[in-house]
Order: sequence, then C-alpha cells, then structure tokens
Amino acid sequence: MTADTRRWNTEKGSTVLKTIKEVLRVGDATVKYPFAPIERPRDARGKPEHDSVKCFACSACANACPPNAIQTSLDLTAGTKSWSINYGRCVFCGRCEEVCPVDAIRLSPEFELAVMKKEDLEEICTYSLQRCSECGEFFAPTKAVDYAKRVLAQSNTLNDDVSLALDSINLCMSCKQKQDAHRYWEQSRRAGELLC
Amino acid sequence: MLIDREVSGQLQHKLDKITLDESIVKAKAALLNDIKRSIYLYRVDCGGCNGCEIEIFSTITPIYDTERFGIKNTPSPRHADIMVYTGSMTRLMRLPAIRAYQGAPDPKIVVSYGSCGCTGGIFHDNYCVWGGTDNLFDVDVYIPGCPPSPPQTIYGFAMALGLLGQKLKHTEITEVPGEQVPIRFETIPYKVRTALERKARLLSGYRSGKDLSDEFMTALALGGTDVFAGIDALIAAQDDPRKKEVLGELKAELKTQLASQEL
Ligand code: SF4
Ligand code: SF4
Ligand code: SF4
Repeated sequence: MTADTRRWNTEKGSTVLKTIKEVLRVGDATVKYPFAPIERPRDARGKPEHDSVKCFACSACANACPPNAIQTSLDLTAGTKSWSINYGRCVFCGRCEEVCPVDAIRLSPEFELAVMKKEDLEEICTYSLQRCSECGEFFAPTKAVDYAKRVLAQSNTLNDDVSLALDSINLCMSCKQKQDAHRYWEQSRRAGELLC
Repeated sequence: MLIDREVSGQLQHKLDKITLDESIVKAKAALLNDIKRSIYLYRVDCGGCNGCEIEIFSTITPIYDTERFGIKNTPSPRHADIMVYTGSMTRLMRLPAIRAYQGAPDPKIVVSYGSCGCTGGIFHDNYCVWGGTDNLFDVDVYIPGCPPSPPQTIYGFAMALGLLGQKLKHTEITEVPGEQVPIRFETIPYKVRTALERKARLLSGYRSGKDLSDEFMTALALGGTDVFAGIDALIAAQDDPRKKEVLGELKAELKTQLASQEL
C-alpha cells in the first residue's frame, strides 16, 4: 500500500465513523405520528371550534368568511335561523374568530379532519327567531335580543338612552322607526305648546 | 390516443360525472377495507395555488416519511393505487384529470386533497372551476385544509388505510329554549371591557390581544378592593417584555376609563 492510499483509507474511515457518530447523535428524526400523538403549536390554525351555546347567530362570521364556509339562512315560516360551517371549505384564516363579538368561535389546533363522507364535514346549528311585540314579524334571533337586553341592563348608569333602548328592544326595525317618529312628534308638539 | 373520443372534444356546460361499474365499486370497497400492500400514489394538480403540492412534498420528507407506510409517490398514473386530486377542478384541467384517472388501473382510490379539492375552497365560486373533485369522480377520502399540513395528510391516509378512525361527524344542533349567551366578565362595566379589548387588539392583534385582555380582566375581576394590586402582580409576573408592555398599556387605558366614568 502506498502512503497515499493509506492516508486516503484512514481519512475515509474517519469520515464514515464521523457520519455514524453524527447519525447516532441526531437520532431518529421521523415523527411517531400516527402511532403516537403529535405535538402541535398552541396557536396552530386548525378546526374552528364553534360553541353553539355562546353563539347568538349574528352572522358576523358568515359575512367575514372569505370562502363562505360559514353560511347562515333564515326560515321565516318556521321562525328559525340556521348557521352552518363546512370544514371542507374552510381555509383556516381565522376571520370568523376575529369578528365574533362573543367568542363563540375560535380556531383550535385540532387537525384530524379527514373524512370518508362529505356530509361529515358539515356542522349545522339552528336558532329560533323572535317576533316583534308590535307587528308580530320575526326580526332577530331570540338569543341576540336576550343578550342585548342583559348587556343594556348591566350598564350601571341607567341613563335615558339605555332605558329608551330597553323600552323598544322587542320591536322590529320598522316598528322602532315608527316609535321614534311618534316620540319626536310628541316632543315637538310639547315644545310647540311651550312656545305658544 | 389516450382518451376515448366521446369523453374529450366538446366543452361542457354541465359536468358529466364519471360513474363506476358495479363490480369496480365492490372491488374498491374491498380494497379500502383491507389494503395489504404498499400503495402507490399519483398526484394531479387540477388548478389549486400549489400550496397543496408543497405540503404533499413535505409529507414525504424524512420528518414525516410516508414511505414507512409503503406510500410512494409515483410519476405515472399507470402504477397508481391512489389518485390524489388537488385544486378546485378548473374547466381546463377536466380532461387531463380524466386522462390520468383512466390511466390508473381499477380499482383505484380517489382522494380529494385540500379545501379546493373537497369543495372548491377559496375558489369555489370562480367562473372557471367546477368546485371540487367529487363533481367529476366518486371520492373516497376528503382531506380538508388549506393546505393540509403534513400531520393532517398523514391522518387522511392513515384513515384510508384503517390505521386511525374518523373523528369528525356530521353534527346538527338545535337551540335549547331558554339558552343564554354568557356575558363575559359580567362584573366589569361593558364600556370598560370593550375599551380594554379594543386597545389590546390594536396593540397585538385579535388572537394574542384577546388572550392578553382576558388575562388582564381575569386579574381585574378577581381584584377585590384594590383594583390595581392584582394587575401589578400580573404585570410583574410576566417574563416576556412585549406582554409586559401591552399589559402596562392596558393598565393606562383602564385608568383613563375609570377617570372618564367618574366624571
Ligand atoms: S377560519 Fe376563515 S375560512 Fe374558516 S370558517 Fe373561519 S372565516 Fe371561514
Ligand atoms: S360571529 Fe360568533 S356569535 Fe355571530 S354567528 Fe358567528 S359564531 Fe355566532
Ligand atoms: S386548498 Fe388551499 S393550499 Fe391547497 S391548492 Fe387550494 S388554495 Fe392552495
């Protein structure tokens, strides 16, 4: 063996040894999933979890959802509003979470969403609508009116605005407008009487 | 000629779904139940943004290594057991999709990959898409995600191979009469709460902003007689200077709010 070959052999040997050492040091890089759970970052964008109790069907999320994964629809004969999400269309952007006024929807790290049947990708919630106390038309989800009532009642400064709002809370938009017009008319009449 | 003349040619105003022979359906069901071999996968991009392709290729890296289940990406549909369709099926990709489909031997499993493949995703209402693979073929597995991350992809295949069960189920929920939306932090005045939430969002976005304002208001609600004691303790306990900063700003905001309430 020439000196050159010997040197080459030792160098090569040491490289192989180094490689083996390195491999042993690094260990197995492959994740154990699906045989063991996989760790996901806390804020990983996964399935939007919708809490149907916290939701009052305001449709803010349906307005914001870019691919219309969340949709709402009214059924005025049955007096219901339905809210639905299709996880197969969701792009996990988080806009629904951003706009929800009551934190009823939030992206969770849940990622195991694959299904064999398309219907399984859907979640549908049905909410009841409230009738206007004046004209009897359905005008808003019952839960939304109830929430507004309680929030208004909670504001500790029970000023005129709040009591006026609480007064007309069970009215639909057009009945509210009528009531406002009526009030204004009363006010101006009284002001006129004072002037005379 | 790779495709029959009847299939190709004319543009379609309505998609003709490809129907399967009964014997093939049976063979496919048997295959899905019990795959006792390595499966080869062929991937067709039918007009997505390419995000899904990138994630498929991260799935075959050593970290996620799908080859340990015998799943191998093949360059030709002739060798494929699984056809993976990504993208929302554009009008122009219909023929290549059919061509690849016909190229693969029966029985083959069809996977809709990504939101685009499942329902059309973000492109669902575009004028030039059919909106999802299942409008053209019978789909066996839907893997949602935009794009599905490698674990999500592995879950989809593990489910198709029977290693894991399906988690998501069709849900229908009806409001229970008398159900009430809880008011968050009821003891804190509504105006103060919204002002704090707004400030926190402005400073650090809707997600961490909300987390921080929640922490802040929890401390505030627990505060008892000395409102600021709990908050000061919370701020002192933070080791992240950014959080400290935001919580400090929230405290300043709370002071302004209290001052304006007293007026
Ligand atoms: S995360 Fe985005 S796409 Fe998904 S439901 Fe929410 S708004 Fe819609
Ligand atoms: S924004 Fe929130 S409260 Fe409104 S409908 Fe969506 S989930 Fe429900
Ligand atoms: S599902 Fe999302 S990532 Fe995949 S191709 Fe469509 S838009 Fe791109």
